[in-house]
Amino acid sequence: MAANIAERVHYPLDSSSYKIIDEIGAGNSAVVYKALCIPINSTPVAIKSIDLDRSRPDLDDVRREAKTLSLLSHPNILKAHCSFTVGRRLWVVMPFMAGGSLQSIITHSFQNGLTEACIAIVLKDTLNALSYLHGQGHLHRDIKAGNILVDSNGSVKLADFGVSASIYESNNSSGGGSVACSASSSSSNSTSSFMFTDFAGTPYWMAPEVIHSHNGYSFKADIWSFGITALELAHGRPPLSHLPPSKSMMLNITKRFRFSDFDKYSKGHGGSNKFSKAFKDMVASCLNQDPTKRPSSEKLLKHPFFKNCKSSDFLVKNVLLGLPSVEKRYNESKVVDPNSKGSDDDDEDPGMQGNVKQRRISGWNFNEDGLKLEPVFPKDHCRDDVVKQVRFEEEKVIKEHDVVASGTVMEPKPNTSSDVVDHDESLVVEKVGSNIGGRVVNNREAMLGTLNVLKGSLEQELGQVKFLMNLIGGEEIHVADSEEQMVQEISKLRTELEVERKKNLQLELQLENIKLHLSSAVNSPKS
Amino acid sequence: MKGLFKAKPRTPIDIVRQTRDLLVYFDRSTESRDSKREEKQMTELCKNIRELKSILYGNSESEPVSEACAQLTQEFFKENTLRLLIKCIPKLNLEARKDATQVVANLQRQPVQSKLIASDYLEKNMDLMDVLIVGYENTEMALHYGAMLRECIRHQIVARYVLNSPHMKKFFDYIQLPNFDIAADAAATFKELLTRHKSTVAEFLSNNYEWFFADYNSKLLESSNYITRRLAVKLLGDMLLDRSNSAVMTRYVSSRENLRILMNLLRESSKSIQIEAFHVFKLFAANQHKPADIISIFVANKSKILRLLDEFKIDKEDEQFEADKAQVMEEIAALEP
Repeated sequence: MAANIAERVHYPLDSSSYKIIDEIGAGNSAVVYKALCIPINSTPVAIKSIDLDRSRPDLDDVRREAKTLSLLSHPNILKAHCSFTVGRRLWVVMPFMAGGSLQSIITHSFQNGLTEACIAIVLKDTLNALSYLHGQGHLHRDIKAGNILVDSNGSVKLADFGVSASIYESNNSSGGGSVACSASSSSSNSTSSFMFTDFAGTPYWMAPEVIHSHNGYSFKADIWSFGITALELAHGRPPLSHLPPSKSMMLNITKRFRFSDFDKYSKGHGGSNKFSKAFKDMVASCLNQDPTKRPSSEKLLKHPFFKNCKSSDFLVKNVLLGLPSVEKRYNESKVVDPNSKGSDDDDEDPGMQGNVKQRRISGWNFNEDGLKLEPVFPKDHCRDDVVKQVRFEEEKVIKEHDVVASGTVMEPKPNTSSDVVDHDESLVVEKVGSNIGGRVVNNREAMLGTLNVLKGSLEQELGQVKFLMNLIGGEEIHVADSEEQMVQEISKLRTELEVERKKNLQLELQLENIKLHLSSAVNSPKS
Repeated sequence: MKGLFKAKPRTPIDIVRQTRDLLVYFDRSTESRDSKREEKQMTELCKNIRELKSILYGNSESEPVSEACAQLTQEFFKENTLRLLIKCIPKLNLEARKDATQVVANLQRQPVQSKLIASDYLEKNMDLMDVLIVGYENTEMALHYGAMLRECIRHQIVARYVLNSPHMKKFFDYIQLPNFDIAADAAATFKELLTRHKSTVAEFLSNNYEWFFADYNSKLLESSNYITRRLAVKLLGDMLLDRSNSAVMTRYVSSRENLRILMNLLRESSKSIQIEAFHVFKLFAANQHKPADIISIFVANKSKILRLLDEFKIDKEDEQFEADKAQVMEEIAALEP
């Protein structure tokens, strides 16, 4: 009854009805506030204020996020009370979750991770949310502790649908919103009805097939991120986050000498025996390299690890008790280290702001005994041979990249099978040769050039893409075992070509129009 | 015994029929009825709608089968199922509403013997569009009806009906509704109406030029709402730059009042609006038959415009933009009183 009435409450649609108390999170183009809704008994709310002028040119993503939030209804999903514009900002009014995000909780009080009993409660509720979402045809695409919130009564809710996507809408433009999300850029449209190919999420948590997203990915990508989140809750941080979140991070970890750091880290945190067999097994199933072998959220809920799961009261007593308020934690984190992970309801590492990240991971191997995720680098691995470079802030990339390129990364290394490519599009896929025959892609200069030219004129682009296709076709002779990848590569390039052709046609039409005017100008005498 | 003679699996046709029967039941719904029975029937109805959805979209185990989809579609439009469903949506729970919306959306694209029979049905039942459009005024229903509407106007004949209906005027208000999610949905529909079917749009714009652009200017381009201005100027550019609308474009860029509005938008502090405004503004400058009053505005403001354009930079490198800008500046610089 009470819940029914609460649902009917209409939150006011003007900013003057809300009194902002404190900032509790911030990201690239959004700030999250704690506020009171004055007309409704000064109910506390969280307001996510998104700068619309800074978001992508078309507002479709923002619309989709707002719609998703309005139409989802599940006890473990943080929904929006309402949303409205205030000048150039969009205000999304949501219930205030007094405990804040799990990420903020572990950063503040549980730096070595939560106990398994607590993890089970959090993860079970998260799975309930995921199961609902997937049943609705939605992918969350950004599952991580920073997006799992707790209320003062211990109830757990999954938040932030800034990059979520729906299989029912995937035919509209390219998915992948970037409203207030840390990392998102999209390239091609989805290839099949239930698959996505655009790149969205936050790198640490990202499934291998999302990183190699041109092959397509689906619901199981969320399951991977869910597994990483389990590790995050258990260890107090996601795997590999001991490496500095700087622009060179992923470039660095692909280098061999960095491996020692990782070993040190692994040894330093060696207490893996504290985890139960059930937990390790559950995480391992989520972190299977093969998406089809990962369990569905529905199936995962039946895993022994979630049996005898304690109630939310347990969470209140063991995690929330004595914890400073969300706003206090947020402000403290800002004072201690402006670059530390202080973000809360919002999902961004402040360290990410203004930084370009270039990350390359060819794969992850989960070490079940140690409950650790270990990186696989292109060099050491034969199967994962497509590497992607992502960039996060468009304008700065070229400059920053030049610095990187002239530095250590581009050193000619005979066996380095991958390379960094700069490109006008926000996402670049690069073909990397297989190591089986010890072969190196010796055409990489040409490839680099080709991909660079893509940002040139459209006519040139058409020619160059054809050239690139030939190039890849030619490579097949040398690198037989990656034929499949190449076929996929080619089909992806074909799609891109098609898109470019369409753009070209449009531009030609425009040009013709202008020409028409020009020619009539020539004919008419000028005064 | 019962186990031995398990009920035959229901065919898509059975499911549509049963759904229809249940819809008829709820459509007649009166106050005085056995609430327990009603609840049971409602559960049954929701279950059926979900089954329809799973036939049309497939599920985690199987891809949709085209023959089953065709059978379903044919049976669905054989009678007035769509009308019943649209009418009954407010009575459904949230999950069933979403399922129903997706079913209706999918049916618009289902071919039956390579014909879109949904289009034929709608042609005879255009008044359903009136129900869907007015749905924007109902906060509860807006997103469901809006999504259905957008699917229906994929059919050219339906889009033509909506464009020429008195409802068209209402969109100017709908896209400024205070609820952002609803306003944005209405804006998406508005854009679809004005860009999807080229020939229909061109015909509409020519026939309704006067009122349409008067409203467009005053209600949208000069709205006090940032998001409205931004969407409107972008859509204006999309419409005018479309080749099929060249006659309308020529007319639009010959108006002094229009130029004034675009020049104001060009001076906005929002970069996004400025950029979109430029793409329309350049058409005024590129027009080789500029009326005298347009020329006089350009001449009178020549130095200001040139300075503004000179300082106008976009964050991303864009050769096309730079080339356009150079051409516009050249054009304006060459104008003499």
